[in-house]
Amino acid sequence: MKLRIWIGLLGLGILLGLMTVYRVYTAGFVVYAKTDVLVWTLPLGAYIFFSLTSSGLAFVSSIPIVFGVKRYETIEKRTIFLEFAVLMGSFVCLILHLGSPLKVIYLMLSPNLASPLWWLATLYTIYLVIIVSAFWRIHTARTSKVLGVLVFLIAIATSTTLGWLMGMTDARPTLNASFFTMYFPLTAFISGLAAMLLFSLLTAYFSNREITQEKNALYNELARMLGIAAGLVLILFLWRSIIGGISSTAEGYLAFKHIIGSIPYNIELWLGLFIPSILMLIPSIRVTVWGKVTAGALLLIGMFAGRLEFVLSGVVRPLGQMAEGRPEFVSYMPTISEILVVVFGLSIMLLIYTLGDRFLKLEQVPE
Amino acid sequence: MSRYAMVIDLQRCTGCSSCSISCKNENNVSDGIYWSGKITETSGTFPNVRFHYIPTLCNHCEDAPCVRGCPTRAMHKLDNGITMHNPKKCIGCRYCMINCPYGVIYFNWSNPHEFWRDKRVLIKGGTSSPAEETRKVGGKEIPYYNPEREATLSGIRAKGVVEKCTFCDHRIKKGKLPRCVDACPADARIFGDLDDPKSQINKLIGKFRPFRLKESLGTKPGVFYIRDFSSAAYPRTKGGI
Repeated sequence: MKLRIWIGLLGLGILLGLMTVYRVYTAGFVVYAKTDVLVWTLPLGAYIFFSLTSSGLAFVSSIPIVFGVKRYETIEKRTIFLEFAVLMGSFVCLILHLGSPLKVIYLMLSPNLASPLWWLATLYTIYLVIIVSAFWRIHTARTSKVLGVLVFLIAIATSTTLGWLMGMTDARPTLNASFFTMYFPLTAFISGLAAMLLFSLLTAYFSNREITQEKNALYNELARMLGIAAGLVLILFLWRSIIGGISSTAEGYLAFKHIIGSIPYNIELWLGLFIPSILMLIPSIRVTVWGKVTAGALLLIGMFAGRLEFVLSGVVRPLGQMAEGRPEFVSYMPTISEILVVVFGLSIMLLIYTLGDRFLKLEQVPE
Repeated sequence: MSRYAMVIDLQRCTGCSSCSISCKNENNVSDGIYWSGKITETSGTFPNVRFHYIPTLCNHCEDAPCVRGCPTRAMHKLDNGITMHNPKKCIGCRYCMINCPYGVIYFNWSNPHEFWRDKRVLIKGGTSSPAEETRKVGGKEIPYYNPEREATLSGIRAKGVVEKCTFCDHRIKKGKLPRCVDACPADARIFGDLDDPKSQINKLIGKFRPFRLKESLGTKPGVFYIRDFSSAAYPRTKGGI
């Protein structure tokens, strides 16, 4: 009964998403809160969030093969499947961000190897093929070291290329930072850890499955890793603030001053990094299920806000002739259609995961 | 091979906007999109103020960041130095808009020229609808449609793709100057070939001290600005303390 209600809710999310697709491709992108200045908004932020979470899950799923920690094999299959589901969610958001998604065929017919966007599209296509193959191997009770290593390498490549895409824009001082090629894989990793913990624990709770002692110990280990990694990212995040606030150019500083007071920035800092790292570094909270679920959920909410903050930080300040007749900073509030794009991506991801959990024996351990 | 560029003489420019209007007519540019725009600035504090006007357009940069970032080569360089866009290949990712430091690339958020598609009349039996107006004068989508634009680019660009100034490449092919240059009543826009040492633009670039927008970024813009308009005079002074 609970499952039916859940599937019904996801179906509703998908239906609303399909209605949004219709609106976007008939009325145009005017249904988004976009202007000539705010060219990238919530749908792209959601895409970055999902795609980096998927890369982070790939890092987690690679632990047994790449780092030889065999006890992580018990969560490998679920993690790889979750990676796939999250990636599908990211594709939904990406498609609804593109003005003419049917023309993506030109990525093959007319490639530009100098473009990070071309590399990103190519790498994500390869990534999709590899994770589907890796999952299939595990599903057929086999394991492949080559595929495991490839998943790990491609996850590094996608997350760093995303840093290249976003972080090397000379025109936008707040985006222009090689820092992102490092920040993205790190935050991807903590997002992957958080998603893994959250989904595993919630799935066990809602399907009344008992968590074995061995798995519980593993989850506690992952939670400790999450606490340490989130703490490290927090330090990096604070340094980013200090560098942006003190030693950047005047133009960068002004944009940064605007962003530092924004809601997404503060959600990322406090909910996404500070509280989860504190929660996971206190042993008595770390060993509890609620502690891990809360930390995982908060971290993902914080990361989502952080991706949005990141995208907006690059576009809120109008450039060149676009600044004519506009304030120094433009404000942004997502529209219902933009929110529904995220709901659509999330519903697709959750539906895939729910069906996978039901029919694909995600608890299975490769031989 | 030619390498086209433009010189804008700010002393001659009166800020009349005929460049923008003629550009819109020539290229069937939709509402809210400005292939030819401006940057205005007010300096000083009242009553000591001045108004500055800089006409802008795509800079047709030699090292164009929009071209470098475009994943499908929809944004590309022509041999004559023009930065051209092919809407057929554009996936609408808007990465070029993110990469362009000059804010001169626009996206078609909705169907262009929406107003002229309207079939409603203001006064029934009295006035025509915008769509009817267009049909009556034989225009394509808009009454003032210029079919010559179709020679090298879609006459009107579709929803979901970007667009920008092309230096009127379709006119250049016919040996004509870009429309904004032709239309400028003050002859403030001078167009020519950078590779031709005898060209007017090379003479002006050599004669005056030109500047280009955001030169520090290294994009090597193809639009040069010379001189600055000022009718103001002041009595000779050394100031004082």
